[in-house]
Amino acid sequence: MLNRKETPAILPIEKINFVKPQVFDISTSTKLFFMKEVPNETTRLDLYFDAGTIKGDIGIASFVNGLLLSGTKEKTSIQINSEIDNLGGFFESGISNENAVITIYSLRENILPILRVIQDAIQNLAFIEHEVEELIADRRQKFKQNMEKVSFLAQRAFQQRLFNDSIYGRITNENDFDSITIPKLKHFFQENYLNGLSKVVVVGNLNQDDIDEIIDLTGSWSSEVNTQFENSIKNLRGGAHIVKDGAVQTAIRVGKILFNKTHEDYNDFLILNTIFGDYFGSRLMSNIREDKGYTYGIGTMVAELHETGYFLIATEVGKDVKDATLKEIQFEMERLQTELVSEEELLLVKNYMLGQLLKSADGPYSMTDLYMSVEPYDLDLDFYNKSIESINHITPERIQELAQKYLRWNDMTVVSAG
Amino acid sequence: MIKFERFKLDNGLTVLFHKDPTTPLAVVNTLYDVGARDEVEEKTGFAHLFEHLMFGGSVNIPDFDAPLQMAGGESNAFTSNDITNYYDVLPANNLETALWLESDRMLSLAFTPKSLEVQRNVVIEEFKQRYLNQPYGDVWLELRPLAYEKHPYKWATIGKEIKHIEDATMEDVKDFFHKHYNPSNAILCVAGNFELDYVKEVVEKWYGPIPAGIKPARILESEPEQLEFREKIIERPVPTDAFYYAFKMPERRNEGYYMADVLSDALGRDKSSRLYISLKKEQKLVSEIGAYITGSMDQGLLVVSGKLNNGVSFEDLDKALWKELDKIQTHPISQDELDRLMIKIRTSKEFQEQGLLNRAMNLCVFELLGDAEGINTEHEIYHAIQPSHLQETALHILKPTNCSLLKVKASNNA
Repeated sequence: MLNRKETPAILPIEKINFVKPQVFDISTSTKLFFMKEVPNETTRLDLYFDAGTIKGDIGIASFVNGLLLSGTKEKTSIQINSEIDNLGGFFESGISNENAVITIYSLRENILPILRVIQDAIQNLAFIEHEVEELIADRRQKFKQNMEKVSFLAQRAFQQRLFNDSIYGRITNENDFDSITIPKLKHFFQENYLNGLSKVVVVGNLNQDDIDEIIDLTGSWSSEVNTQFENSIKNLRGGAHIVKDGAVQTAIRVGKILFNKTHEDYNDFLILNTIFGDYFGSRLMSNIREDKGYTYGIGTMVAELHETGYFLIATEVGKDVKDATLKEIQFEMERLQTELVSEEELLLVKNYMLGQLLKSADGPYSMTDLYMSVEPYDLDLDFYNKSIESINHITPERIQELAQKYLRWNDMTVVSAG
Repeated sequence: MIKFERFKLDNGLTVLFHKDPTTPLAVVNTLYDVGARDEVEEKTGFAHLFEHLMFGGSVNIPDFDAPLQMAGGESNAFTSNDITNYYDVLPANNLETALWLESDRMLSLAFTPKSLEVQRNVVIEEFKQRYLNQPYGDVWLELRPLAYEKHPYKWATIGKEIKHIEDATMEDVKDFFHKHYNPSNAILCVAGNFELDYVKEVVEKWYGPIPAGIKPARILESEPEQLEFREKIIERPVPTDAFYYAFKMPERRNEGYYMADVLSDALGRDKSSRLYISLKKEQKLVSEIGAYITGSMDQGLLVVSGKLNNGVSFEDLDKALWKELDKIQTHPISQDELDRLMIKIRTSKEFQEQGLLNRAMNLCVFELLGDAEGINTEHEIYHAIQPSHLQETALHILKPTNCSLLKVKASNNA
């Protein structure tokens, strides 16, 4: 008779294969990372530039990033985009506070022809006036639209208070768009793109000639600057509320400055983070969604910067349960400080995290991303073996100790919008 | 080429197995042939609410997620107007844990009042978060009933109104389960590094004893042919005027579906598309514009949507848009343009099939369409498309009497 009441035997994960990409020097400061083991025709190429939003006047970095394919003296933006599309390429450009990244997705046979088009478009970028004006108008519209979202309002107020008076805490206002000028854009571009390439990442079954050509095409952009990132940021504690008329939900952001992968408590803290709010069965999800029904979702994360990092809790809740939700968040923090996590809950989280790590290492794309998330800190894949060790050895006492150290309600920045 | 094996259990469950020797993970994907189109108009949002309840414990297992997490796995689901799809991803050596959990909730649910009460609230918050508390969030709640008069596509998966979710009773929940959740109404796909015999053995072990059910007959109100242009204007506290032109297009199992798909790409997939170049770059009428299809099983929609630039009127846009739509009806597109659309389709497909979960899901969808092998032959349908086909499709679809237009007017207080 089939026993449906009991779970089938669970087998532990025996080992995870971590595969390192090959590394080539483009220049003394810029490296190319190459993951060749791709069993199909897909290819991805990322170009990282030292051109994040903390650089330059407010807003400039983001506009330059949005204008990279806006045309040269010889070619219009329409021509450039059509050439990429003719080769079946997908182009994305994105920006964070410390980096700007261009990504190309294509079939293997087309990656170099596409890169040639993009190389020319960037090398000869002309900052044509009507293109700049068009982007400013588009961004202005988008900004107004975002200001209608409680999540956006809460996020920017949180960023401001979390990063306090550091360069990371700058937030864009509508009138910042007025001060964007073509000379400023050109200057930023010259310094941080044409001389700002910090790394190249290639995933795809390419040959050595292809890699050599990629190095040739991008080599002259190699970064010459050694950017210094801030490392002593302190978040502003306590609360702030942004009023948004007519909102039916309130967005909540709670967090504090923490640390990145280089800190000795990082791996253990990730386990505490998972228990607290980073999986479907977490303390916060179980209490605030699955028990009270206050929200569609609530989650926590550890975000990393070059020299530091931060911890964040984010949710959107019914507007009449904002205070009740904050009270429960505080309650769950304190519970982790005063009560030991049960062995069963801890075992579940350990197994879950090992499963997630297995998934993060599955396939050439995930594996490359996993490597690229330790590389900025001069760590290598051994970091993940240490993570496994940390998962296997952590105790309820250690979790409690970390909660007492890092999850104190009074240390948190607390922001809501609604 | 995605290889798979198919077998059927005596109780009617269709099982697909896709072997991937390169991954340490397993995927268990379960597609139930039920979506929001199977609801009655007085009780909408039900298929989706029910999806939430499927995580609230089954007849023998009080909690769905915890045992899966204990086995190193995770799970999620989604509901559309057509289907409800559940998936589990976990380390391959714990495959049976997922089969145990999924088979038990196919057998029967726990139906606890607490779960219903909480998930009602969660879904109401989801309704607010995604549809009410976002600029333009309620567009599909307005556009669907404009485009469809009879067919159940006239309501959104989340439901017509919050009240329908508030009013859901345990009786409703049980009826819904008994009607739609049984082996003959489901397609299961197991993917990972296994042998077929093993998969057969463990699937038979966990699913074999589930009693057979009856696949419910689907009798939907058919949508009468649209004979007139429809237009609705709504005012919202948004910063920018927005437009949504929705054209009826053929159902999923029709060649015309693929033609409409490519047609929408030509009009507005990317920055080399016709509407982007003409209306945004050249005439500077819009800040954004795109064209896409809803991908529906029954008669769907090809939608052209975007936002107006400041100072541009809906009338200016309307004139320029119809001029472009007229062009694609009167002049066949060039072979170069068609080649460009095709290589983008091919590239996206290659990337989509990278992931084990995507492969498992798509196999189930193609099986629902009639044959999982469709996953490997679909590109032939695309490749057979000629410029003349697109012109005919455009003539047929892109006409005012086949169009429902929703305008979102920015009210002054924005």
